[in-house]
Amino acid sequence: MEASGTADDFIPAALAAFGVEADEIELAVMRAAHEVFWPPILELLSLDTGGVAPEPAPDLSQAPPRR
Amino acid sequence: MSEPLDLSLREQAAAIAAGEIDAAELLEAALARIEDRNPAINAVVETFPEHSREMLAAAPAGPLHGVPVVVKDEWPLPWRAQRFGAADMLAQTAPGESGPYRALRDAGAVVVGVGNMHELGSGSTGNVSVYGPARNPWNPERCPGGSSSGPAAAVAARLVAGAVGADGVGSIRYPATYCGLTGLKPTFGRSAMEGHHMAGVSTTIVSGPLCADAGDCRLLGSVLYGEELRAGEVSGLRIGVIENEVSEDVALPVREACEKAIEDLRAATDGDVRKIELPELAAATLATVLIANSESLGSVTPERLNSLDPELSPLGRGLLKYRLMLPAAATVKAHQVRTLARQRLAGVFAEVDVIAWPTVPAVAPPLEAPLVELPSGTLTADAANVRGGALANLTGIPAISVPVGSCEGLPVGLQLQAAWGRDELLLDAAEALEGANGRRWVEAAPPAAAKSGA
Repeated sequence: MEASGTADDFIPAALAAFGVEADEIELAVMRAAHEVFWPPILELLSLDTGGVAPEPAPDLSQAPPRR
Repeated sequence: MSEPLDLSLREQAAAIAAGEIDAAELLEAALARIEDRNPAINAVVETFPEHSREMLAAAPAGPLHGVPVVVKDEWPLPWRAQRFGAADMLAQTAPGESGPYRALRDAGAVVVGVGNMHELGSGSTGNVSVYGPARNPWNPERCPGGSSSGPAAAVAARLVAGAVGADGVGSIRYPATYCGLTGLKPTFGRSAMEGHHMAGVSTTIVSGPLCADAGDCRLLGSVLYGEELRAGEVSGLRIGVIENEVSEDVALPVREACEKAIEDLRAATDGDVRKIELPELAAATLATVLIANSESLGSVTPERLNSLDPELSPLGRGLLKYRLMLPAAATVKAHQVRTLARQRLAGVFAEVDVIAWPTVPAVAPPLEAPLVELPSGTLTADAANVRGGALANLTGIPAISVPVGSCEGLPVGLQLQAAWGRDELLLDAAEALEGANGRRWVEAAPPAAAKSGA
């Protein structure tokens, strides 16, 4: 399903679940954001990253330790 | 001598140290020039002449003694809390001594003004701000880039020769490119960060310099790093290039200018160009956005979201509320993508010294509609720009944007990225590139800087 289709259900439902109010303009912004972000989020979620060796608390100032 | 404000940062510092320029006169000239030129570009959102004069009166002898600079509205000052370009930034803030402020003060610099920024740091264009949009000195109807919009526009218009920005997802490099400047995103953790409202929480944000050229970035960067960024000779530079959308889904004039610059850099350093692969790049872009957004959620509650300041833009309000809906599972995977990307880059940097691609795929878009035309179609500038800007923030590596051309009278920038801690190499490479093109692009001045006046 297109992200724009899921947005019509997902966003109002999520807002209601969180108890967050939104006006029409904010809803339009959220729908637009959803159309941009949701497809790549679904792609990301489809990645099997279970085999990725963890780098707990990575020191981002340095290269990762050799494995 | 040229108009002192038109000298480079290092020339101003040297001239003051030699007694050739009076620092008090330079400060007053900077304030007058801001008054004269700033209304057209809205780069500086506040000046505080008495505080600046007090800073100068107490300025120690240092590498920037008496030199006026602008600081982004992301850093607190002892007399002013940051507003983050927003009517409501959710986080509690107060006036104070940020790390960049202390570094500047201890170097003898004078903070002459606060630079505008994209609201909440959440855009690459600079066209949304509680202060109104900053404008690009090359064309005031075009975006100056964001989120460090004001610092970049201020330097490009020669209000000051150096400014301090912050880069969480490309926020120094995008405006550097749009405004024709050199902008350095340091290795994570190397530059002053204390006092930022996300310090200790953010794993992507760093402070960094925006200046006309690499030499000035080296000077201002050394102050922000608290250590000298030593210059070195670059020889046999191994330049990595990539064949994917970040280098290919690019407006043709930008692509051509960047390809020429890469060849110039190769020739100038007697180096070579090698193809590299970063299969995680697309996922890394989203991962950066997810991590950066999730890290700012600490002060977000449903109750708080229901009481946002109505002066916050609709865009800001909507995006803040949408952040609450980002799935935790995606953020967990984003951290795993970070691990993969860091491991991949460690391997890549065993084979090349720098990775080069266009900083952004198109020149500054119109303020009213920040869209860019790319071979793949029309995209929002934000969606297009993040492709090339996010990797350095996700992985912690340093990156620099260097002006390398012009299209439609607007600057084009090339981004160079290097391994962790090799910030100095980026400055050396940028200087080699400047030498190769006769400093044509770093010395180009926009119309807003050529106007007569103060």
